[in-house]
Amino acid sequence: MANMIVASSKALITAASIPTSTITSASTSKPRFQLPHISLSPKIRITKHQFDNILASSLKSSVAIAASVLVMTPPSMAVEIEKAALFDFNLTLPAIMIEFLLLMVALDKIYFTPLGKFMDERDAAIKEKLNSVKDTSSEVKQLEDQAAAVLKAARAEISAALNQMKKETTVEVEQKLAEGRKKIEAELAEALGNLEKQKEDTIKALDSQIAALSDEIVKKVLPVSSN
Amino acid sequence: MNVLPCSINTLKGFYDISGVEVGQHFYWQIGSFQVHAQVLITSWVVIAILLGSAAVAVRNPQTIPPDSQNFFEYVLEFIRDLSKTQIGEEYGPWVPFIGTMFLFIFVSNWSGALLPWKIIQLPHGELAAPTNDINTTVALALLTSVAYFYAGLTKKGLGYFGKYIQPTPILLPINILEDFTKPLSLSFRLFGNILADELVVVVLVSLVPSVVPIPVMFLGLFTSGIQALIFATLAAAYIGESMEGHH
Repeated sequence: MANMIVASSKALITAASIPTSTITSASTSKPRFQLPHISLSPKIRITKHQFDNILASSLKSSVAIAASVLVMTPPSMAVEIEKAALFDFNLTLPAIMIEFLLLMVALDKIYFTPLGKFMDERDAAIKEKLNSVKDTSSEVKQLEDQAAAVLKAARAEISAALNQMKKETTVEVEQKLAEGRKKIEAELAEALGNLEKQKEDTIKALDSQIAALSDEIVKKVLPVSSN
Repeated sequence: MNVLPCSINTLKGFYDISGVEVGQHFYWQIGSFQVHAQVLITSWVVIAILLGSAAVAVRNPQTIPPDSQNFFEYVLEFIRDLSKTQIGEEYGPWVPFIGTMFLFIFVSNWSGALLPWKIIQLPHGELAAPTNDINTTVALALLTSVAYFYAGLTKKGLGYFGKYIQPTPILLPINILEDFTKPLSLSFRLFGNILADELVVVVLVSLVPSVVPIPVMFLGLFTSGIQALIFATLAAAYIGESMEGHH
């Protein structure tokens, strides 16, 4: 098909440019292709007619194809369906614009502005509350300090009382200790005194016996002298 | 030559089975103008859903939010965050625009996938997502263009047009071209995605009526959400771009 169209157009060009078909120019321009046809002028006429017919028919067919393709692009082939109008601009466009602008105003009135304002106010309130919470944290610190001070005082008090009690008890204990020591010392002194007395007594008794004993020893050792 | 009618016939067969209606509109005549009634009807439903739910949820705001209010607060924070990251500190006045853009596109896209529009029979055409129509997407994209021009002009006055010769005057044609490509790409991206998504689902449902289309439907829901996000983010980015000082 394509070959035919090309061939016919070539023939048409040669035939149109050289209507009287001078053999030399035709033969020089297309020596190897159309040599047998160009030798006779009537034959060329015939071929020209043929080619015209072929060209017309091929053009017709190609136009038909193009038309059918164009018509068919949206596949609405049925006879009664009109051409599909994908890019059909009309009053819908400004209508949608106006609708959109009205919708924008309305949504702004009932949605964006009130809810946005409400959310911002709530955010601000929450932030404020958070800040106030931070303030109480310093209060809590103060209270904690107070509690620590109170605890410290109480501890000091307790330790003081403890010390006093310790002192008192040590005094008492020392007193009792001293008393006991005195008692013991007294007893010791008495016992020592007794012991000394007994010692002296025994020494005295021994002294009184020494004379008799020595007389007896002298008698026993020196019997001769006495005889 | 017989191949062509044959393929056309098979295509027509598929077409009849699937019952896809592409580019079929239900027209209303207003004066000497025509409108696509199916788009207007579905957009009214979308607007009603948005306004109704917002009004019910935000009617009486509580300090400790109930679930519905919590959801709307989440959405608002999401939109604020999006605007703030794209526009910067002066995002406040643009929250309604960006938010409405996002919510309208999102609810429109999901309404096409979730609402049983097919129950309502129209004389011609069928009900689908409003973003399925090129008029809607071009309207939104043009509004975005107007918005970023307005933002730039109010912020910088006529000095705004100085950005066309930044960083060098050689880029002037490209900078001017950008003003045309921005709305074009915005509108065609949304339109193409939503239309293709709905077509894929419809064709798959017609071919395999049971399990197979379900993942594609979920994919469609995902795509719809992403497209809404992309549109809103790009709109915010354009506005932020025209408001930022050049250096």
